[in-house]
Amino acid sequence: MDAQKLLLPYNFSPNDQKTLAFVIRTFGSQENIEVTIFHAFTPLSEIEASDHQSATAKLKRRLSYLTQELTEREMALQEVRQHLIGQGFHRDNVRYVFKSRKGEISAAIIEQTKEHDYDVIVLNHKPGKVTRFFTGSVFTKVVTALRDITVCIVS
Amino acid sequence: MQTEDRINIDIFKVVTRAIAESHHLEIMAKHLAQLLVGALEIKGVTIFATNVETKELEDLGSFGLSIRYMNKGPIHINRSIKSVEKHKAVVVKDVKNSDLLEYAADAIQEGIGAIVSVPIDFSGRVIGLLRLYHHDQWDISERDLDSLFVLAEIIGLAMMYARMNNAIHDVKDIVGDVHEAWLE
Repeated sequence: MDAQKLLLPYNFSPNDQKTLAFVIRTFGSQENIEVTIFHAFTPLSEIEASDHQSATAKLKRRLSYLTQELTEREMALQEVRQHLIGQGFHRDNVRYVFKSRKGEISAAIIEQTKEHDYDVIVLNHKPGKVTRFFTGSVFTKVVTALRDITVCIVS
Repeated sequence: MQTEDRINIDIFKVVTRAIAESHHLEIMAKHLAQLLVGALEIKGVTIFATNVETKELEDLGSFGLSIRYMNKGPIHINRSIKSVEKHKAVVVKDVKNSDLLEYAADAIQEGIGAIVSVPIDFSGRVIGLLRLYHHDQWDISERDLDSLFVLAEIIGLAMMYARMNNAIHDVKDIVGDVHEAWLE
């Protein structure tokens, strides 16, 4: 029997920790499960600066030093992977994807899911969030866009 | 202690361009936070939306702060940087000597020395907050504070535009789901 492929979008929030706990509780005892922890980050802002003495040129040089946050995020993602391994998932069956995105997070999740043909995706949903009015609901966009996949919602 | 003006027209052009060119509010907020951190040489920036139902602030976009600090707990509108009033900025020049903070110990542990919190107004209501975090004590200049107010107003417009845009897309999706059979 082929292993089930599970996608776990992760954004380091307390809700994501709940989702992680759900995955461990529900899928931790299964041998044939491959877990991909997925984080798509917003790349550093691209600014144009032709004049090397301008404030924008100085800003551009300084922005290159600001990659520290991305390094911290990737290390945190590695820790999540180690946590899953520590909870009984086989080392070879847990991987992480840390990639840049230009569009919405929902589009990045949908693209990842379609490209790699996952069987299960685990999302979280916190009702009543006001940011959803401004950025749209990741949960709604992902759920309505995907076909032939099991979607688990942790609320 | 620094009181010189830091936001000049060049920086203002860059950050407003980041707002104008972003197609997604979340990415706009993140880029704006990155640019402000870089331009002002400060520790971090967060743009919050206010949730009047839960009375909490929700992170719309942030840069420079650790995961631990971001997950410190719910940020309550009435307890976070107390005495928040409409249209008024709150400047915490020295975090260690302030009783305005909801999570003062976390802020100190994070290495935050000062916080500037500027309301994001739209149509007379506070719909969010632009919050800047400095490593050290910070006596922000009046001119920079004025510039941040202008920036906050632009962010407010962008937030409301994004909200309207989402609503239009939702309507389009619902109408698109109506099968032709229902229209015969």
